[in-house]
Amino acid sequence: MAAVNRAAAKLGLHAGQKATDAMALVPYLTTDEADPEADAEALTALIDWCVRFSPAVAADAPGGLFLDITGVAHLWGDEAGLMADFRDRLRVNGLPFRLAIADTPGAAWALAHFGADGIIAPPGEQAGLLKPLPPEALRLDPEAAAQIGRLGLRRLEQIIALPRAPLARRFGAETLERLDQALGRSAEALRFRRPPTPWLARLALVEPISTPEDMARVTEDVIAKLCTRLEAESHGARRFEIAFHRVDGKALPITIGLSLAGRDARRIARLFQPRLETVDPGFGIECVTLAAYDVEATSGRQGRIDADLAVTVEDGLAPLIDRLVNRLGPERVWRAAPVESHVPELSVGRAPVLGAPPPGAAPWDREAPRPVRLFRRPEPVEDVTALLPDDPPLQFRWRGRLHRVRRAEGPERVGEEWWKRGMDEISVSHVRDYYRVEDAEGARFWLFRAGLYGGSDAPPKWWLHGLFG
Amino acid sequence: MSDFRAIRAKIAALESGTRAQAGVLPFGDASLDERLPGGGLPLGRWHEIVGVGLEAETSAAPAAFAALMARPLARRGEAVWVLRRDDLWAPGLAGLGFPPERLIQVCARDEAETLMVMEDALTTVGVSAVFGEVEDVDLTAGRRLQLACEKRGGTGFVIRRRPFGGAGLKAAAGSVATTRWCVRPTLSEPAAGDFGLGAPRYHVELQRCRGGRTGAWILEADQAYSWEASDVAHPLRLVAELGDRELAPAQSAQARAA
Repeated sequence: MAAVNRAAAKLGLHAGQKATDAMALVPYLTTDEADPEADAEALTALIDWCVRFSPAVAADAPGGLFLDITGVAHLWGDEAGLMADFRDRLRVNGLPFRLAIADTPGAAWALAHFGADGIIAPPGEQAGLLKPLPPEALRLDPEAAAQIGRLGLRRLEQIIALPRAPLARRFGAETLERLDQALGRSAEALRFRRPPTPWLARLALVEPISTPEDMARVTEDVIAKLCTRLEAESHGARRFEIAFHRVDGKALPITIGLSLAGRDARRIARLFQPRLETVDPGFGIECVTLAAYDVEATSGRQGRIDADLAVTVEDGLAPLIDRLVNRLGPERVWRAAPVESHVPELSVGRAPVLGAPPPGAAPWDREAPRPVRLFRRPEPVEDVTALLPDDPPLQFRWRGRLHRVRRAEGPERVGEEWWKRGMDEISVSHVRDYYRVEDAEGARFWLFRAGLYGGSDAPPKWWLHGLFG
Repeated sequence: MSDFRAIRAKIAALESGTRAQAGVLPFGDASLDERLPGGGLPLGRWHEIVGVGLEAETSAAPAAFAALMARPLARRGEAVWVLRRDDLWAPGLAGLGFPPERLIQVCARDEAETLMVMEDALTTVGVSAVFGEVEDVDLTAGRRLQLACEKRGGTGFVIRRRPFGGAGLKAAAGSVATTRWCVRPTLSEPAAGDFGLGAPRYHVELQRCRGGRTGAWILEADQAYSWEASDVAHPLRLVAELGDRELAPAQSAQARAA
């Protein structure tokens, strides 16, 4: 059994018990299959929802979470105000919960699990509140906890009073570590669900909104809010994530990326615009947060007097590329860049449109005739006749049409990149002889013969790899 | 002749209304340029390039011709090529003298998206030529493209291309393109004593031309596949004029024999 509810606990059942044993004790017990993955998903959803309170939220599997509320409580007046708001909203969502606020995650955990619900430890005074709690409040592994229990230590104050060295020797260094973490003697690193960014803007709405116009307006407002801050501190960001927090507790994020770090509110709002319609507002949206990632320093730019005449990348191309990349996806917008390879289909790489081209590769040889259209997969051609093994074909059939060759050039031999493969995979059938041929109507083709005549392998095959036009 | 030119320019100005003229791109040959309004390929407009037969689907010659025609433009700004099928090969364009480092390739998912990206690119500062591979441009889409061209003086090249395995190209019903070119590859003539293929030649038919006249020519990309490609001259050289469209087949046979 993974978990028991309150009624079951009263009957003496507990988690970790065998289901059959429990059934023997309580024959009318109702059980349900445990689904840890769904639990984890629900916790993740809850964490996303909690971002409205603090950007730094860490999961405490299976059923808890930590909010780092450093520096955000004042938005609600004080910590009590934040907790009251949190409590109300959780209750509306019908979730059972226990809350505690303390200086350290360890102390907060202990108070939430074993103290009174809703306790707020004043700064530096968590030790006093922890004293009456049982040792399990230290987040110990069960063995250490059982060991402590066997030795008759029932309250934390007894453990705190023990000398440190024997404590570590007897119960393991982890026990000491946990104790220190709870008391704030050593720091604890939490794994926050998303990297906390100091660049966060948040708009809480008085009334939930749902119309597209309202959503567009709050989007603009929250972007303007964050961009003003970026502007004031001479920074720009490459990635923005907006999250719409719905009344029913779901958070719907949209992310956009910029190719150059920017902070132009209007431009960023325009990138979000087409995606807004994908957001289902449900019964209404009550809070919007915007986070900026990949923030870097960008110097302020002075608007030129002759702005119409001279054009910089920032004005023209970068917004276009951003629009295209965000609409179509980054893999659909590229510049062709040379790659050092003599295998035709490997000699072209894709480089991002903006930014420095990848160094190293020499440009393509402009004297070697290359087709304008290259088929991703060479297409087979049939009925090829050639006078001599190394001669260009006299005729070939492609897509059902017979082409008679009038002029031809070649062969241009392209070997395989044998150094990239195993010895046994190398074969003469990977050698390609390319011919550029022109048929009787003037159409120009790029054909190749894979393999050589006279070998022990199968006879060579002919393929059409591209069209010159 | 100059009077004619002046009158023609006046008519063109009247036709174009109040919009600013973005200039023309002359081919550098009188017999071609005099058919075009203003003495060259009008910029700030969009042009339609079609292929015939199998070329309507593979679209190699139309693509090569469009790249050659727009090569002088690529020196003035970025070029955007919107594809439906990703088979355009940059080394081939580089061989024709088109600078691949100025080319941005965009692969669109459908017809509407292709046109949308074209419009967006045409209205962008710093983009001088936009190519799009589209099956058909209806009147509304054509008008939108034209407005996009006029906004910044960008020049559009619509390469009519049938999707793989699709039905035949629809007859262009009342297109609003400024010019329509029908392009197919034709037999090359290597210099005497040379083996192999000559410089690529195209049979080019100007099927419609707003404010100009139609015609047919054989053009040769004589600087293709060489490092000597000069940036000054137009990459296409006139080999033969084929007279009027109706007479083209008979004369082209003669030109071939010659």
